Amino acid sequence: MVTTALPGKPPAKPERTRGTKAQIGATGPVRGIGIVAVWVLVVFNLGVFAWVLLTSLREHRDIFATPWGLPVIPAWENFRTALLEGEFGIAALNTAVMTIGGSVTLVVLCAPAAFVLARSTRKISGTMMATFAVGIGLPVQVIIIPLFVLLEKFALVDTLFGLYLALVGAGIPFTVILLAGFMRSLPVELEEAAALDGCSALRSFWQIMLPLARSGIITVLILNAISIWNETFLALVLIQDTEKQVLPVALLNFIARQQFNGSDYGGLFAGVVVLVLPMVLLYLWLGSRIIEGMTLGASK
Amino acid sequence: MVYAVLFLGPAIASVVISFTRWDGIGTAEPVGIDNYLTLMGDTVFHTAFKNTMVVLLGGGIAVFVLAFGLTMVLREMRGRKFVRSVVFFPTIISPVVLAILWGFIFQANGLMDTGLDQIGIANSPNWLGDHLFLIIVIGLVWTHLGLYVTILMAAVDQIPRYLYEECALAGATAWQRFRYVTLPLTWDVVSAAAVLWTIGSLKIFEFIYAFGGTTADMPPTSVWNSALFIYGNTFGGRTPSFSFGYASAAAVVTVIAVMAFVVLLRRATRRDPIEF
Repeated sequence: MVTTALPGKPPAKPERTRGTKAQIGATGPVRGIGIVAVWVLVVFNLGVFAWVLLTSLREHRDIFATPWGLPVIPAWENFRTALLEGEFGIAALNTAVMTIGGSVTLVVLCAPAAFVLARSTRKISGTMMATFAVGIGLPVQVIIIPLFVLLEKFALVDTLFGLYLALVGAGIPFTVILLAGFMRSLPVELEEAAALDGCSALRSFWQIMLPLARSGIITVLILNAISIWNETFLALVLIQDTEKQVLPVALLNFIARQQFNGSDYGGLFAGVVVLVLPMVLLYLWLGSRIIEGMTLGASK
Repeated sequence: MVYAVLFLGPAIASVVISFTRWDGIGTAEPVGIDNYLTLMGDTVFHTAFKNTMVVLLGGGIAVFVLAFGLTMVLREMRGRKFVRSVVFFPTIISPVVLAILWGFIFQANGLMDTGLDQIGIANSPNWLGDHLFLIIVIGLVWTHLGLYVTILMAAVDQIPRYLYEECALAGATAWQRFRYVTLPLTWDVVSAAAVLWTIGSLKIFEFIYAFGGTTADMPPTSVWNSALFIYGNTFGGRTPSFSFGYASAAAVVTVIAVMAFVVLLRRATRRDPIEF
């Protein structure tokens, strides 16, 4: 499937010399309009999330009357409503367990597999890589029906363990492909030297490959954590019990209940904040790593 | 192994199930190609399939044109790192949240209406009532733009500077620079990104699903894509119908159509790699 990475190593990175005549993009008025459009988009993105934060501290009636208003007295009870009545508290816990458990399991399972696939020259490993690549392209809704039936046979539907298995299964192709691509880029000489010194394959994986691949592994860990944290479809189908639901589903249920209980925008946006804030913090902390990882993963 | 049991096995099983009538509990009753014949005459499926294609083609063209436009502007802009992170940001946010926000902006008396009111436009259209699918597609473009801008920017950054200096000497216009330098030299990445979009657009589910959330039900069938069609015919809605065989047939048809599209796309975009 998609094989082109960002082209490997062209001559040195182009220098950024501002103010020279060698423009790359548009010039003149077109460029002016472009810049304005870019900033409109930036302000929009920032504005939307600032608005969510502020609105989560306002009362429902207030929001309904003037959507553009600001919080007068911070309505912290929105968060109490969301965490207790909206069951976002337990959902946050479930989501955190799934996220940490799932992303760690994925790396533990896939790192050895990726190592073997990256180093093996046998024909079968090429075929296996191709199978994993197909797996990335296959949407999860295509496999959900047999998956549901399979998990039901083992009485794993509506259990967090069943959801955990499904999440790990769905994450494997991406993790293997990304890690294999990363490990292939590491120098093979180190392992050869280790092998000459009588180091077993297992030991060279543990003591040479893993430390070298650390940054790639951490990137994969973060990317999987993000995607599991936001995952909705599997949880929606596989979990019915509200005690076991995850955050995005809790949010959908909260909206659904509003039809009967009367709406509560304050509580709703407090729930949104519970779901979004950890991602925002992670992004502020590891932003460029996430961006680079995703860009690389996407073009692999 | 886990992968084979939980992912590959089901994928093959889907094809088998698509030739049966099955509710997942009783025994599956083989019905041959009946499911596929029903599918051909099902207007809901036609709409869902058409919507999937509109997102794939319409949304795709919009995303790529805008992403290239943004990349060209961002390339020499101050604060590009900052802008890039802000534009990328929706990529890591749950689509459910994005859909809720997007819906809230356009709902009656929501942010858009009251905002337009302030600047003196009183009779704003009934956004979600009359133009729901269009609003959804624009929302999808908004949320996906960041990823593609980043991919293209990374590719454009690899183009050596001196090529543009030569352009300046030759007096090339902005369009010529794009047409003869930028586009050919990023072609590989563009082609890969196009495949990524194609596959990604097939996976879109939550963003559309959440638009039905306020009614505790599925969104109207007019905005379904094939993912919602599958969900709607199995687990979704107030009274799930569990037509596993029928939904599997829909899944098979969509995947085959999109795979064919991917192959065509790869063919059409194949070029000799350009060394630079």
